[in-house]
Amino acid sequence: MGACLRISLTISCLLLIWISASASIPSRESLGIAPQDLSYYKSDVIKCKDGSKKFTKEQLNDEFCDCPDGTDEPGTSACPQGKFYCPNVGHIPLTTFSSRVNDGICDCCDGSDEYNGNVSCPNTCWEAGKVAREKLQKKIATFQNGVTIRKQEVEKAKQAFAKDEAELSKLRSEEKILKELVQKLKEQKERIEKAEEEERKKREEEERRLKEAERKANESKNAPEESSHDITDQAPEKLSELHNQDAMEDHHDSAVEDKNDYTTGTEISDNQVVGKVANDHDDTIAKSGHEADGRSDGSSFSHVEKQHVVEAQDNAVSKANTDYPGTEEELSSHVAEQGQVSDSTEGLSREELGRLVASRWTRENAAEGNDEVNMAKEGLEHDEDIREENHDGYISDSDEDHKFEDDDLEDDQDAEFGEDHEEPTDLTVSGSSSWLDKIQQTVNNVLQAFNFFRRPVNISEAATVRKEYDDFSSELSKIQSRISRLNEKLKYDFGKDREFYSFYDRCFESKQNKYTYKVCPFKKASQVEGHSSTQLGHWDKFDESYRVMLFSNGDRCWNGPDRSLKVRLRCGLKNELVDIDEPSRCEYVAILSTPALCLEEKIKELQQKLEDMNTGQPSAHDEL
Amino acid sequence: MPSPADRSPPILLRVAVLFLLLSTASAWKKDEFRNCDQSPFCKRARGRKPHSIPSLSAADVSLSDGAVSARLLPSQPLRQNTAGDDPEADRDPSRILLLRLSVYQGGVLRLQIDEDPSAPRRRFQVPDVLLPDLDDHRLWLPRLSSPAAGSSSSFYLADGFEAVLIHDPFEIQVRRKGSAEPVLSLNSLGLFDFEQLMVKKNDGEDWEERFRGHTDTRPHGPQSISFDVSFHGADFVYGIPEHASSSLALRPTSGPDVEHSEPYRLFNLDVFEYLADSPFGLYGSIPFMLSHGARSSSGFFWLNAAEMQIDVLAPGWDDSASPAKGRIDTLWMSEAGVVDAFFFVGPDPKDVLRQYIGITGTPAMPQEFAVAYHQCRWNYRDEEDVAAVDAAFDEHDIPYDVLWLDIEHTDGKRYFTWDRVLFPNPKEMQGKLAAKGRHMVTIVDPHIKRDDSFYIYKEASEKGYYVKDAMGKDFDGWCWPGSSSYPDVLNPEIREWWAEKFSFQSYVGSTPSLYIWNDMNEPSVFNGPEITMPRDAIHYGDVEHREVHNAYGYYFHMATSNGLLKRGNGMDRPFVLSRAFFAGSQRYGTVWTGDNSANWDQLRASVPMILTLGLTGLSFSGADVGGFFGNPEPELLVRWYQLGAYYPFFRAHAHQDTKRREPWLFGEHNTALIREAVHVRYSLLPYYYTLFREASVSGIPVMRPLWLEFPADKETYNTGEAFMVGPSLLVQGIYEKRQKSVSVYLPMGQSWYNMRNGAAYTGGISHKLEVSEDSIPSFQKAGTIVPRKDRFRRSSTQMVNDPYTLVIALNGSLAAEGELYVDDGKSYDFEQGAYIHRRFIFADCKLTSIDVRPAKIGGKFSSDCVIERIILLGLPSGAKKAVIEPGNREADVELGPLTLRGGSSLVAVTVRKPNVRIADDWTLRIL
Repeated sequence: MGACLRISLTISCLLLIWISASASIPSRESLGIAPQDLSYYKSDVIKCKDGSKKFTKEQLNDEFCDCPDGTDEPGTSACPQGKFYCPNVGHIPLTTFSSRVNDGICDCCDGSDEYNGNVSCPNTCWEAGKVAREKLQKKIATFQNGVTIRKQEVEKAKQAFAKDEAELSKLRSEEKILKELVQKLKEQKERIEKAEEEERKKREEEERRLKEAERKANESKNAPEESSHDITDQAPEKLSELHNQDAMEDHHDSAVEDKNDYTTGTEISDNQVVGKVANDHDDTIAKSGHEADGRSDGSSFSHVEKQHVVEAQDNAVSKANTDYPGTEEELSSHVAEQGQVSDSTEGLSREELGRLVASRWTRENAAEGNDEVNMAKEGLEHDEDIREENHDGYISDSDEDHKFEDDDLEDDQDAEFGEDHEEPTDLTVSGSSSWLDKIQQTVNNVLQAFNFFRRPVNISEAATVRKEYDDFSSELSKIQSRISRLNEKLKYDFGKDREFYSFYDRCFESKQNKYTYKVCPFKKASQVEGHSSTQLGHWDKFDESYRVMLFSNGDRCWNGPDRSLKVRLRCGLKNELVDIDEPSRCEYVAILSTPALCLEEKIKELQQKLEDMNTGQPSAHDEL
Repeated sequence: MPSPADRSPPILLRVAVLFLLLSTASAWKKDEFRNCDQSPFCKRARGRKPHSIPSLSAADVSLSDGAVSARLLPSQPLRQNTAGDDPEADRDPSRILLLRLSVYQGGVLRLQIDEDPSAPRRRFQVPDVLLPDLDDHRLWLPRLSSPAAGSSSSFYLADGFEAVLIHDPFEIQVRRKGSAEPVLSLNSLGLFDFEQLMVKKNDGEDWEERFRGHTDTRPHGPQSISFDVSFHGADFVYGIPEHASSSLALRPTSGPDVEHSEPYRLFNLDVFEYLADSPFGLYGSIPFMLSHGARSSSGFFWLNAAEMQIDVLAPGWDDSASPAKGRIDTLWMSEAGVVDAFFFVGPDPKDVLRQYIGITGTPAMPQEFAVAYHQCRWNYRDEEDVAAVDAAFDEHDIPYDVLWLDIEHTDGKRYFTWDRVLFPNPKEMQGKLAAKGRHMVTIVDPHIKRDDSFYIYKEASEKGYYVKDAMGKDFDGWCWPGSSSYPDVLNPEIREWWAEKFSFQSYVGSTPSLYIWNDMNEPSVFNGPEITMPRDAIHYGDVEHREVHNAYGYYFHMATSNGLLKRGNGMDRPFVLSRAFFAGSQRYGTVWTGDNSANWDQLRASVPMILTLGLTGLSFSGADVGGFFGNPEPELLVRWYQLGAYYPFFRAHAHQDTKRREPWLFGEHNTALIREAVHVRYSLLPYYYTLFREASVSGIPVMRPLWLEFPADKETYNTGEAFMVGPSLLVQGIYEKRQKSVSVYLPMGQSWYNMRNGAAYTGGISHKLEVSEDSIPSFQKAGTIVPRKDRFRRSSTQMVNDPYTLVIALNGSLAAEGELYVDDGKSYDFEQGAYIHRRFIFADCKLTSIDVRPAKIGGKFSSDCVIERIILLGLPSGAKKAVIEPGNREADVELGPLTLRGGSSLVAVTVRKPNVRIADDWTLRIL
């Protein structure tokens, strides 16, 4: 043990001595030249690499730039486009800009870039290299473990994919059978209805005939009585009709009122209209301003006149605005106060005014309740509510179907956000054939049980057929929606090995200060603060050969772009959202570590790099 | 059925409010700012016809204390109801005005008119703008000459010039001796009006003024001053910044053929999204106008910090049948203050500049790093962001010297503090930049958050250091931090206090590599009238804000600059960028053209704006490269870098809502173009630094209108698209998208060499040139020598020891001259003579380096820097070698490229490695 330690110490001492010796005095001919390039500089007359010129060996590294591309000055700062190579023995060789040579800052860990004596750069390659090697080793270990996890994931994805495909094909065949059954039931139902209709017609005919006979009998008895009888008979009917109409109108009115009370909806649509007017108006100003910017003829400020045009347009806009029924008063009071509608800030408190003016620079919400972003967001959420409501409505329909008990409401809502959607197993996988058989049996029974030739139609049998028809058609649409969901899923690109298959039903979260970021691949990404949620983007695609996930068309920024998110993926043992940032306003970037990015090919590359560092064998490595 | 709208007024009311807010949330708010008609003093003065108001005559004209003094009295007793259009004209006829005329060295006449000292209240005279030793340069007038009739008095002004006071009606004239025709005159048109202060006699009198819901109490009544000034023999007038314009010369604002226009307004304002072409006032004010014509130049400066409106009158403005030719009349109107005006006789344009600088001070000599490239954005968010941007510059081999932090770096907009989450280790962060020779700038604005837990606020409120409102309470206005108060920097004691705040002990987290940016110092008050402070706010000495408004930012800039000076024990040159400015701001630092926008028109307007600032003393100025508001398309951004690389102050900046636009974000090709533009600036740093030195001595700006260099060439008088950098370089901007060709007028007298390929062009004609995407047209004048450094580094700091290149552009007689100034780039040792100043003269095939430092000056600055390359343009072929004396050393001569950057071919005779030291005398002969 002790001996080993001593030996290794000796070796590292020797190594250190060797390194410092080798880094001390580089010869002018080899200064800043990469080993594989040395042969290029062998001859007495050397060509500039760009072919523009030739130079002599004396001109190599003579502190005067002869080649525009810097070929002749690899070891000095004389050429602005030159490159300097430091061997950095014990670490990674580095090719840097010649602007770093003798600039007083140590750039190469071996100090070879600072040789004019103005600054002394200690050789730190071994230490830095050690740190780098350890880091690299760790990285390799991560990759190695990651590759294993990735393999498992890929295998799981394979199974899940197969399972989903199997389910899909099963659902498709079920759909086919059910469709046929439903069709049959439909036909049966229609036949029954036809029979019923015929029966009804017959009965009516019978009654008509009876009535006719009765009338004829009565007519001869007391003809004059009839008309008065008619009137008294009709009056109450009419009254009740009127009454009904009233009720309906009431109902209608209250619906309107409801609509008004439902402020968000109404307000948004109105605001959008006005907002558009305002925007158009701004456009005109911008346009006029633009025109005014052009030089005027001679020496006059012709734009001033154009500003008047704008002013006239202001008034036009305000006029247009007053055309909104009911707004005239409010607006004209503003108009009266300042004579210009566009900009009256009177009546605002001092603080409101301050905030309002500040908001021009910050584009932030100036006054409560008037923020377009909020409005837009509310609008969006509102839309979503509606969508979800519809969705729920649909689900609740099928809820009536007791065979889909498992498929509860919440589950389905979540499905929209990607939670796994567990299908009842008896439906899809194991018991499905017997289930189908049973259904077929039932249907056949129903179909056969019905006797078309019996008159009158058996009412309970007809009801059974109708019920069965309703049940099965809702069952069918349930299956169809499941098929379309699966189709929706399977159309995505899940990577070369479908390594991102499990991402479909997952979301990754990261909490930063007051915000929680939620990234759901293939679906959407959002920023949640308390109860309010901002969409950072909808799934767009993978980019940079599955190293980046893009989400675009998120909520619109105030006066800015639609929000978007770029998620960079890197190899890690867990799926983890590690960093999220907003370098430009409303353009987010995040890092997601995931085993899916731990590629086997990369290990070899890293190991090669480590080997190079260990042996100190310089290999071409261009950091630029 | 009634419509839903009728049933829900609250919603529609909100809609209407939203509409109002939306329309206020974009573009320039014309209505928010007063126009002339809304300012009673302006409306009254502007409506007058020549000689339509009762005139004043000078009485008791005499010499006292070496200056001329007189009393101004009404010419004849006032009749009742004389000027029907002037409701405030009936003032006490017994009250007189005192007039004083004095003369200063170098051709400066000063006119002062004020009320009698017995007046109820002293009017405000702007302190600390004129140089403190100005009186040492006053000439003692020995005598007054009067013609027999005694209708005027004249006296010596400068060699060849005399000043004349015409007695009734009084008029001031500056004349060439022996000529009846004046150069400059005041009150020739009889428009002089001086509203004397009044005391309220009864409660019925209402002096209040209202504007957009704000009430100005005007406790002292109307007190405006207006008068006419005529520039004789002038083709154009220039100056009176700050206005955005595509024209360098001031366009007439009134008269025949002039569309209705506002006067030029001088009122420091924070204008949101200002227009590229408008006479409305912006962030700073310098009431200094210059004229130029074929015969001579002259200038007029009115030291007055109240709101000013100035009309440039087109010939025939007064409906006269025969409009005066070769004369430009102007009308000057100010809301308050006194007459303290200066006439500059010229006669050369550079003389006018020197005369103005002679009274307001020379521009401060900047540190060398400040002359290099600055990278700014609202905001670099945190230390990580700062490190990443810094590293990316290195990755892309683009040099930069300064990284800026905008308001978000602070703890809740409390200046002098740091956001603890985003910037936990500010010293370490600055240290990392400093290790690469880079600097940092943080923003410090004048609005102090009203928060007792904020030490600055607490201290200032305890000491009573804030501007007061009309009721006498600390003024409370709204700005970035919300409710804020403003230090009363008019008070020298408060300025001293403010300066202390920049000490390293006080400004926690600051290090010696940190410098300062003063923004919002107009002052900007979001909820004030016209986005500024109410005019009836009260300053030190019972001065009303209306009287001092235009100088508030100036005093703030001064206090900050002095703070940095103190911080460095007077050894370190301050760097303070200010948005607001006034006459004299050049002594305290840099200014820029504020919140411009990313469009081509604003790119174009930046040149006349910066040239105008330079003409009025503010040599060190620039515009935000890329445009502050909006997202520039890559082509515009590249063109802006190419132009901005020649601005004296070269900084990229962007609004927080804009997309990131650091130079490497637009693809490799654009990155290369921007790198090239930045490299152009870095290679010219020795030339720029030399020009800054010249500016700091003479006031002649770094960036110059063509006519300043070519005063006889009429073609140049109104050129605002091309400009000179110093005496040697001419630059033409490209202001249009996908522009294919451009017409460039090269002034006469010399030929010109294209700075990229060395091609020669004749002067005195317009050349139609093809436009390339990799540069904007730039030329070196024949007969000049430009020093460069062609090695690029991370920042200018690392270039200190790098060798020089001299580019010699020979004129027709194969001669050229140029200068190089070098010092330590940061301290004041140069004041003791610790600098190198060489003149290079090339004649008879011999280049000589001569020391131009005054012989008896002490101090020493040493440098081992050598000249590695000398490029000669226009030398006939046949040069074989160069011989250097002393030492009889030989250097090779070969054909070499003009620049070492890509694509340049061999065009010029190049002396290879002469390696002569810049500190030494030597000659180099071409054989």
